[in-house]
Amino acid sequence: MTLSHYNRRDFLRELGIGAAALPFLAGLPSLRAANSSNTAALSRKRLVIMFSPNGTLPKELWPNQFGADIPLEIKSILRPLDPYREQMLLLKGVNNKIRGDGDGHMRGMSCLLTATELNPGNIQGGSDTPAGWASGLSIDQQIRNFFQSRKETRTRFGSLEFGVAVPNRADPWTRMCYAGDDKPIAPLDNPGQMFQKLYGGAQDRESIAGILDYVREDLRRATRKLSSEDRALLEEHMQLVRKLEQDIEAARNQNELTHPEPEVDPDIELVNDNTPAISRMQIDLLVNALANDMTRVASLQYMRSVGQARMRWLDVQEGHHSLSHEPDKNLKAYEKLKRINLWFAGELAYLVKRLADTPEPGRVGGNMLDHTQIIWVNELGKGNSHTLSNIPFVLIGGGAGFKTNRALDFKGVPHNRLWLSLAHAMGDEKLQSFGTEKFSVDGPLDLS
Amino acid sequence: MHYTNANKQRGKTQLIRLFSFLMLILLWAAPAPASLLAADAIPETPVVLNDSGASIYKEKCANCHGSDGQGVDAEYDEPLFGDRSIKALTRLIRRTMPEDEPENCVGEEAHQVAEYIFHEFYSIKARMKKGLNPRIELSRLTVPQYRNAVADLIGHFTPPAGKLSGKKKSDDKTASSDSIEAGLQARYFQSKGMSKANKLHLERNDRYIDFDFGEGSPTEAITADQFSITWDGSLKAEETGYYEFRIHTQNGIRLYLNSENTGKRGKLRDDSSLAGQAALIDGWVSSGKMRKHSARVFLLGGHRYPLRLEFFKYKEKTASIKMEWKRPHGAWSVFDHHFSSTAPASRTFVVETPFPADDRSLGYERGNAISQEWHSATTHAALASAVEIINRLPLLAGYRKDTTETKDLLKDFVIRFATLAFRRPLTRDEDQMYRESLFSKAANPEAAVRWAVLLILKSPSFLYTNLPATEDTPNDFVIAAKLSFALWDSIPDQTLINAARNGKLTTSEQITSQAHRMMNNPRTRTKLQRFFNHWLELEERDLAKDKDMFPEYDETTISDLRYSLNLFLEQTVWSEESDYRQLLLADHLLLNESLLDLYHPDDENSEHPKSKPESDAPPIADFEPVVFSPERRAGVLTHPYLLSAFAYHNNSSPIHRGVFLTRNIMGRGLRPPPKAVAFKNEEFAPDFTMREKITKLTRDTTCMACHSFINPLGFALENFDAVGRWRTRDNNKPVNSLSEYITESGDTLEVQSARDIADFAVSNESAHKAFVTQMFHHLVMQSPYAYGPYSVDQLRKKFAENNFNIQSLVSDIAVLATGHRQTELTLSESKP
Repeated sequence: MTLSHYNRRDFLRELGIGAAALPFLAGLPSLRAANSSNTAALSRKRLVIMFSPNGTLPKELWPNQFGADIPLEIKSILRPLDPYREQMLLLKGVNNKIRGDGDGHMRGMSCLLTATELNPGNIQGGSDTPAGWASGLSIDQQIRNFFQSRKETRTRFGSLEFGVAVPNRADPWTRMCYAGDDKPIAPLDNPGQMFQKLYGGAQDRESIAGILDYVREDLRRATRKLSSEDRALLEEHMQLVRKLEQDIEAARNQNELTHPEPEVDPDIELVNDNTPAISRMQIDLLVNALANDMTRVASLQYMRSVGQARMRWLDVQEGHHSLSHEPDKNLKAYEKLKRINLWFAGELAYLVKRLADTPEPGRVGGNMLDHTQIIWVNELGKGNSHTLSNIPFVLIGGGAGFKTNRALDFKGVPHNRLWLSLAHAMGDEKLQSFGTEKFSVDGPLDLS
Repeated sequence: MHYTNANKQRGKTQLIRLFSFLMLILLWAAPAPASLLAADAIPETPVVLNDSGASIYKEKCANCHGSDGQGVDAEYDEPLFGDRSIKALTRLIRRTMPEDEPENCVGEEAHQVAEYIFHEFYSIKARMKKGLNPRIELSRLTVPQYRNAVADLIGHFTPPAGKLSGKKKSDDKTASSDSIEAGLQARYFQSKGMSKANKLHLERNDRYIDFDFGEGSPTEAITADQFSITWDGSLKAEETGYYEFRIHTQNGIRLYLNSENTGKRGKLRDDSSLAGQAALIDGWVSSGKMRKHSARVFLLGGHRYPLRLEFFKYKEKTASIKMEWKRPHGAWSVFDHHFSSTAPASRTFVVETPFPADDRSLGYERGNAISQEWHSATTHAALASAVEIINRLPLLAGYRKDTTETKDLLKDFVIRFATLAFRRPLTRDEDQMYRESLFSKAANPEAAVRWAVLLILKSPSFLYTNLPATEDTPNDFVIAAKLSFALWDSIPDQTLINAARNGKLTTSEQITSQAHRMMNNPRTRTKLQRFFNHWLELEERDLAKDKDMFPEYDETTISDLRYSLNLFLEQTVWSEESDYRQLLLADHLLLNESLLDLYHPDDENSEHPKSKPESDAPPIADFEPVVFSPERRAGVLTHPYLLSAFAYHNNSSPIHRGVFLTRNIMGRGLRPPPKAVAFKNEEFAPDFTMREKITKLTRDTTCMACHSFINPLGFALENFDAVGRWRTRDNNKPVNSLSEYITESGDTLEVQSARDIADFAVSNESAHKAFVTQMFHHLVMQSPYAYGPYSVDQLRKKFAENNFNIQSLVSDIAVLATGHRQTELTLSESKP
């Protein structure tokens, strides 16, 4: 086995499993942050999709008036996002029209980004026929593949799937990203693991650097008692240790990040009550990964469809999904759902603020939000009606170049057309159809 | 295949390095018959060498062999030494030297030069006097040793596997879960919606994972619309390498392999049933069509891994599941009871980091050299091990997850970890560093453990197997480590450590009794299995054959044959007799049904081997002994796996077979061919037999120097075709397998069959010593002569006294290699 073969295989393996993914020693220029002076950086476009479950409260979200020329009105749930009103676009009347196998939640979740039917399968929902995984890839992966297919937009990871409090189970209610038919992608909801995936190499390097002095001392001690023939072996060993030390030093300089990695408590327990802290860590990691151009596509999935998170940090003791079933007139439940949705909006606002506060690499005066398209999605329009119509699509940022500071009501178009608009806006203009073909025939929505 | 290339390549990987002398080679690995032992010939009084020997040597030999027999580059670069007597040397020189004109040094001249080189540098005594004898070299862990040591180090802290859960009814006396059997423990459930394991209806042992329920259900008690099955047990990995799995099903499955076996199990539901554990294959969600799920995993040979397979059907029309796997050197086959057991197992951490191959220039793996790739691999492996340990820290260090004050527990853990890794008590400095310095420097106790693990696994005290002991290390610890590396390729277990700690590895009896205990361990079996892979050259063989000529001989056949051979070796070695001679003499093969079709004993007695034998015997279910005519088959020599390995894709290869028999079985050294000669089938007359072709090809005198004894051995197996089937005709002519073979001592032997060769080898001391030496190399990874000039003779003598019991030999070698002084004395009493 040659060394180069070993390195390559080892490296690819690391990319795959995420341990020590940043090359431990040698800098690999093609996969490092693109030089900020090149042209690709100037036209950089990014996509972040954030998901929260169990429907919204329409009255707390939708403005009273829709229209191309009417400035956006911010209702209660969206209040944390008020500072970014001018970069926001609200879309009503965009429906998930996918039918077939699976219950509403399953299709709501697994057809949300794929816009195509579920395969028949063996997972029984609360109603309808059992179903399996979605039968096509999701829009984030479509755009990821498009970016990865071009040298100037290719990044080390292509896409990153973040999760927050996603239960450890794999079924159509827990997966929204798909690499293709029958190929769900699991979000990574452990910030420690995500950190390891992003910065593991650097971390390992520092760990090793920390012990080399001791190793040298050990070697010196062991060498003393050896015959001269045997000593040669340990002297060679000592040279290898010195070489490693030099290599680490060189790698440190070479791999310096545009944005140093955020501090993450690697041992944070993945329990419900830590969700707010985990959420912030994941957002910090996400923003950093974008800033270092490790990826240009990311998703951030909170819990799952039918999620029963108990948000005690909001003084809500009941499970989220049960609450979402309560009729509107249950004012207590209504108020709690408002609190829950406000919290999600607050997390989104934190993400938006982090991006807005981070200068766009290579652009004087610009910030990253100007070049990032955020889309906040939900699998349902409304919790207690389980409708897949009027899903709240909240778009923020300038990545797609859509016209913002307004709310539009499309009165019931398939959401396939929204994803088609998004793909075109991100540069994938040749895409004719996305997801179920019959829902794409009218082409992309006009959002410019 | 080219003759030269084949041999050159073999030269690199041979079990025996070729130290050649005067065409024939005499070395530790190629010993002479006992009557010619060097020891016998050592005179008691100093010898006055006559000058003429020296001058003859200078004139006729030194050009190629160097002034002091050290060898000359590009001529003959191996040093001259060995254990032949002066008489034997004389005969050899007379017959064969100088290479280009053997008649130039005969008679008294040959005797004088033999006497000269014997006393100057050839004999063991001469070499000892001159300080030329091999010494014990500083060695690092070999790659298998590294992987085993890390696995056992972490395994040491892993709690033993809990009993497999499952509601055990105390009144159920027939509960199968208590007995350990081959296969997997299967439980069949009626499902009810989300509750997949709603009601247990059938519990049994499944030997194959290959079921097609069609539109029905596994048992009448279960309805066909929804049911689930779980299979539990463990997987036995015999070899180290990548294992591939694929599961075909249209339903839902999860495969857990090498998960933490906590004995705890969640309910079987759509959400995972082994809480918090990642499935190797998660195919729980079906898609209404037949699917193939695959995964690949690197496993360490000699370990059992916990395995759980879950299956469920929910309203799909049909149900089926087939789990196949592919072992290293194996073909895809249904996962079955040969490699599974209902016994529970604990997780074993496997270092997957690729390492550069160990040096094999002397014919056996050893840790004599380091390189940047190796160093970098040890770094990566240390990092991976640290991740494993930190992830499982509460379990390994033995505290509950909610424990708040872990510092002292973790200090204790680190000290125990280091002690095991270094195979000795820590020095005061080390203790201070691991207990205090690291913990005070690190941000938190976990970080200190991480550093400690990295440091320990990068320390020379872990990485080198035989550093000089620190002043305060009791010798018992040194001995414990030597035993465990020799027998297990790993670190000592708790029993050995306890013995060392209590000073119970001091006397020869104590050491021997530990060695005996250690024999009965899967690690020893694995180590011996690898020995046989070396000895029989089973590694990296291409056994593919001409598909038109041998349509039945496919990957599965090769895989089955390899299994059959390994099973034979295992059964022979681990029987009570453990008789080396049976390896060569046995008259049976272990065959399964499909192998029996190909290699039927009745075929061999028939003139028309193609016709199906008519037999009343019931079909055999599994690998069972099938007896052959003793004149035809003889132990491993005629095992079809070896016969096909040493053959061309379309015919036998007497040269490959002959070279193998000469070196590995007869213990006779061979030098590389003096000139490149390729075997080109098309250059021979079309009606030639293979024997005629080889005879013609090697007729040159320089070739015949070696082929005079390679060919007769190879020709003796000419009754076996390219896949090891019996034949009586080759190229439409009767096979002639009879030749005269000149033994090393100059006797003429008629050989006509494998049995003739086997009979000769089992009673021949050269052959015994070759086996002993090769075993020593494999176990100790040093030259046996570094442990005393007579070590091989002593071991061979004992081997013979013990009726060639392989297990005794192995344990004797391990004991000898501890370097225990008393042991040496005991052994030297039996000096030849």
